[in-house]
Amino acid sequence: MKPAPFDYVAPTTIEEACAVIAEAGGGATVMAGGQTLMPLLNLRMSQPFIIVDINKIAELKGVSRGAGVTRIGPMLRQCDAITSEALARDLPVLVQAVRHIGHHQTRNRGTVGGSIALGEPAAELPATAVALNATIEVRSTAGTRKIPASEFYLGPYMNTLQPDELITGITFPDWPKGHIPLFRELAQRPGDFALVGIVGALVVEAGKITRAGIAWFGMGPTPIKAKTAEQMLVGQSLDTLDIQAVAESAIADTAPFDDQHASAEYRRTVGKRIFASALREALKTGEVA
Amino acid sequence: MTAPEMGTGMGTGIGTGRYIGQRVRRKEDPRLLTGRGQFVDDISLPGMLHCAFTRSQIARGKILAIKTDVARDVPGVHAIYTQQDIAHYKADLLSFFLAAPDVEMTPLANGRVAYVGEPIALIIADNRHIAEDAASLVEVDYADEDPVVTLADAARGLPVHPGTDNNIAAQMGEEEIDEELAAKLKSAPHLITHKVVHQRISQSPMETRGVVVTRDGTEELTLYITCQSPHLVARWLSLSLGLPETAIRVIAKDVGGGFGLKNHPWKEELAVIVAALKFGRPLKWIEDRYENLVGANQAREQEMTLQVAFDNDGKLIASHGDYSVNIGACPQLPECNIAVHMFVWAAYKMPAYGFLTRGWYTNTVGYAAYRGPWAMETLIRETVLDIAARRIGIDPIEIRRRNLVTLKDQPTMTCMEIPLEDITPAECLEKLLAHFDVAAFRKQQEAARKEGRYLGLGVAAYIEPTGAAGSIATMTGELAQVQIEPTGKVTAIMSTHSQGHGTATTMAQIFADRLGVRYEDVTVFEGDSSRGGFSPGAAGSRQGVIAGGAAIMAGDLLAAKVKQLAAHLAEASVDAIRIEDGMVHVEGSPEKSRTLRQIAEIAYGEPDRLPPGFEPGLEAKYRYQPPPMTFASAANACVVEVDTDTGFVKILRWISSEDCGTPINPSVVEGQIAGGLAQAIGMVLLEEMSFDDRGNPLAATYKDYMLPLISDVPTFEFLHANTPSKSVGGMRGVGEGGAIIGTPTLVNAIADALAPFGEVPVDLPLTPAKLLSVIEGRDLVSPTVAPEAPVVVAVAPLVSAAPVVQAAPAPANEILIDGDWKMVLSTPVGPQEMTGHFETDGTALSGYLAAAEGQQAFTGVVENGNNLLFDLKVEKPLKITLKYNLTVEGNRISGKCKMGIFGSAKLTGHKL
Amino acid sequence: MSKHHIEMTINGRRHSGDVEARVSLSDFLRDDAGYTGVHVGCEHGVCGACTVIVDGKAVRSCLMLAVQAEGAQVTTVEGLAASDGTLHPVQQVLLEEHGLQCGFCTPGFVMTLAALTDGDAKPSEQQLVSALSGNVCRCTGYQGIRRAAKRLACNEAGENS
Repeated sequence: MKPAPFDYVAPTTIEEACAVIAEAGGGATVMAGGQTLMPLLNLRMSQPFIIVDINKIAELKGVSRGAGVTRIGPMLRQCDAITSEALARDLPVLVQAVRHIGHHQTRNRGTVGGSIALGEPAAELPATAVALNATIEVRSTAGTRKIPASEFYLGPYMNTLQPDELITGITFPDWPKGHIPLFRELAQRPGDFALVGIVGALVVEAGKITRAGIAWFGMGPTPIKAKTAEQMLVGQSLDTLDIQAVAESAIADTAPFDDQHASAEYRRTVGKRIFASALREALKTGEVA
Repeated sequence: MTAPEMGTGMGTGIGTGRYIGQRVRRKEDPRLLTGRGQFVDDISLPGMLHCAFTRSQIARGKILAIKTDVARDVPGVHAIYTQQDIAHYKADLLSFFLAAPDVEMTPLANGRVAYVGEPIALIIADNRHIAEDAASLVEVDYADEDPVVTLADAARGLPVHPGTDNNIAAQMGEEEIDEELAAKLKSAPHLITHKVVHQRISQSPMETRGVVVTRDGTEELTLYITCQSPHLVARWLSLSLGLPETAIRVIAKDVGGGFGLKNHPWKEELAVIVAALKFGRPLKWIEDRYENLVGANQAREQEMTLQVAFDNDGKLIASHGDYSVNIGACPQLPECNIAVHMFVWAAYKMPAYGFLTRGWYTNTVGYAAYRGPWAMETLIRETVLDIAARRIGIDPIEIRRRNLVTLKDQPTMTCMEIPLEDITPAECLEKLLAHFDVAAFRKQQEAARKEGRYLGLGVAAYIEPTGAAGSIATMTGELAQVQIEPTGKVTAIMSTHSQGHGTATTMAQIFADRLGVRYEDVTVFEGDSSRGGFSPGAAGSRQGVIAGGAAIMAGDLLAAKVKQLAAHLAEASVDAIRIEDGMVHVEGSPEKSRTLRQIAEIAYGEPDRLPPGFEPGLEAKYRYQPPPMTFASAANACVVEVDTDTGFVKILRWISSEDCGTPINPSVVEGQIAGGLAQAIGMVLLEEMSFDDRGNPLAATYKDYMLPLISDVPTFEFLHANTPSKSVGGMRGVGEGGAIIGTPTLVNAIADALAPFGEVPVDLPLTPAKLLSVIEGRDLVSPTVAPEAPVVVAVAPLVSAAPVVQAAPAPANEILIDGDWKMVLSTPVGPQEMTGHFETDGTALSGYLAAAEGQQAFTGVVENGNNLLFDLKVEKPLKITLKYNLTVEGNRISGKCKMGIFGSAKLTGHKL
Repeated sequence: MSKHHIEMTINGRRHSGDVEARVSLSDFLRDDAGYTGVHVGCEHGVCGACTVIVDGKAVRSCLMLAVQAEGAQVTTVEGLAASDGTLHPVQQVLLEEHGLQCGFCTPGFVMTLAALTDGDAKPSEQQLVSALSGNVCRCTGYQGIRRAAKRLACNEAGENS
């Protein structure tokens, strides 16, 4: 399990990186944390001509505040996301999601942007980005683009990123103070990809749900926005909320698959329950808060 | 530690000592904790080159062409070998029993491939990276054929091996259930038919396979190889390659786990060794994890149906077992696992048992041992007992109490004619129950159910044959060589080998106690075939039992020698000498005390001061031959909670109550049990090596082959019974037990938790989807969408392949029976060669059968002019009568030998 | 394929070498620098045997290119014990608790625990056990390893229990 030969460059600026990627004409692969890419290279499932290591680009790191948004540099390491005070305050559900990625040792290298770029359908962060309506900023030598996360994913490990584009930031619109994080995943062992998962946030004002952003993971070829559930929830009074009914309808948006670990029907069956119990628990905790 | 309360009147254990029986720290650990161990990949030799393999991408087909030109041109590539290039070397893929295979097997694929991952070409290059570059450039053209993948495929598919009639690799027992047995089953008040499907398992030692081989001189080979016994590897290779054994040196200092996979080399190692002979430079091959999961032999894929008849009190009446194992294309053991049937009811009062057992070839990677290879017997028995208890309406513990063989019942004989003298599963169970309040649990369970929480209790009991020696060529005694060096320190060379077993620790504990020296002053060497003597190493829970006995005997011989010399020097009687803490004392004369070093210096350096006839030096050795079999026993309990929303299982508590006789080091004992239990948890809940219908493995990484993590394994509670065995020292084997008993214990707990929903089919692993299917009474496992290519074949029940039909005897033109015949009997432990001498007088037959072990005479009859019928009684491994029924046609002889409980074996031969 | 000259500090000693881009940090540490205590168990980031400490953090050395460790401070299992042979507290506790059998996975467990208990860090038992779910052991059933983690963890009073 040794990689096929490749060239390696580690640019220090975004411009330099974009230039190298453009020059490679599709033969370049960007390495962020490398925690998924390295296994693919070792297994020779990925055989790029050139690895563009973006670990040395300072501009790609860190968390910042913008107008009504939190902006995350793609090279923010998962371990740093977990300890980030800004994220704990503004995007608590993202921190919760990051805690479930891989293991301690892989989170020490793995990055938020890497996970979002890869788009494993059963992974936590792509779904978090979709749930919270994040925007993915990309750059190439031709200029910049902003892609809504909900339009970013095309299929397993497939996204709308062009071969010459580099993710330069992920912006998450603000959620008000006191919003309710929603997260639940079912995996056989810690660090395994989820059999079923749900992630999102809710805002409750005066006993009514006023805002909801929710997405499924492990429930289709991409992370899936729980649109039906969001529509049912927003405007609902907590007193009359039929969580079971929302969960039943929510599953309609999913398109789970069969694999050796579980059938689609298992995922649907358990998905409903996970959805209902996560929602029930979130609202209960929310009330206390 | 618990006192050996059950031990009264049993064997003679050595009990506890200053070191024996204590939780002594391991000698192996400091080097392993600081990264100074020596594993095979840590070896680097001058001029060494690296190997990789091109492997088959298909499960079955003819190789049309192997194109190596492009690969050969990669800079840094030295050679590419296919089977054609190495075919002129003798390189036999012998079984663990050192028998040659019945079907063609070669180190590299020879014109055909029979499983995905089969090595086709070997690349030698400057480094592993380049070797892999070249391996990926070797082009193989195949004529693809439909593979035989599952047991069901094997029964109806075309033979995997050309030239064979069917896919049955080995078969014993009777195809038709004996009439008397069938009647007993049919007429019983309760007849339970229980089927267990066990998934395929990857042994997954954390260190993959690997070898570094160098050819020194013309016929000397030095190998560093990760293995379970350097001596066995040397012996195996000597026979495989036809080189004199003395020319092969095998070194394996530290080995990162074996679990049965590393009993002896297989295709890849043998190919590398032969390549080193041919290429003449040191070669290294380190298997990567992908190769390990795809190309290394695997274990356990088996199905068994057990019928069990009970009376109204839940007592056993009769049973029949039908067992099949998928042994892949090129198995290390082409067997049908007779041990499953020998031991399935061994610990229970079972009046009658019959069986059919078969091993099937398929187009999957071959079979190798895995911790407790016969474990199906405990799994199916202990799960059927719980099912029976639920069906008949008695407590699962009670059904065991009514049927287990207790100490009071012994000596006795099992239904398979195995003598029992001191098994203690019933006593282990009682000890367990004294520690675990079942009644309180049942209340808790009832209360929890009212809250919608489903708790379950699983209990299982078993016995295990350990420390076996004497019935199979490779299963021998153990050798201990021990010396007090002129420095006064003790060194010992053992035939043992550790893949984590800690034999350098446990053996040192014994020597320290027996010689009266400090543990710190004893060093045990192992892991090199050029020193010590033959043993199969870790195989069959045997080293503690047999090598422990050898160490005691050798230690005592050496202590006697020290005492003899000390007595002579002090002019005292031998009885007055005491060795303690490295000092040799003379009773009543403290001034005459000497250090061991002083005694040793005299023993080695001052021959004039030695007693008459005293062999200089302080050295002793002893090869211990234990009783043929020593039984270990255990009972386990575990408590689980099953989440009925998701089918997830949480293990809440686990108690192991085992009897391993004298524990040399309780921490080592518990380590062995715990490791086995963790593997059992993996088998029940997580691990699965499956294939698609084209024979492609579905778990080629550790993302998909799920090993138990720290979060999957609870803290185990241990109870020890310590009933000394009849073996010297009183030890009983403990290496495999956890993996055997853990599986049904956990399955039973899950089934108990879900009993309100119905029976849980024992189809491992019990994934959340399978359990939720039981809970909801609908299928949540099968794909909901039909696969794109609908190649789904209806799964037919295992049908017996056509029995071997003997051709009707042709009219005998001239039958000449009298004389000597060369004959081969295909036994479960491999082909046995023998010479048959026949003399006829009308219809009277007499003669003898001769083999390496000796010869035995018989008398019999000749029927129909060419049909020879005669019986032979044998004592080993069991007392049985062999009934021969042979037919002579011209200068050929063929037929069957019925071997009592072992069923029938085929015999073929020719006139000499 | 590009070649790179790299320098890093391994176990307090400066080490330099020329590597192909595709060489992993684990292969570099073993084959070039000679630290064979770094064990390679799966090369795809699951088993954790190759765990080393890079700039203070436990990482999988099979999931990093050697060239990426340019300028880094790397500690392997060989670098923990004192020069007089005194074992690191993590090694000592694993020794006392029979936390290993074959020892192949052990360096990974040692390095994960060493990174988390270094200096002023006060991890809870739960944090340690959770981090150890990134290391696979096939021999021990994790019993001694869990006992060791318990002893290395800080109890609520902030003291090592």
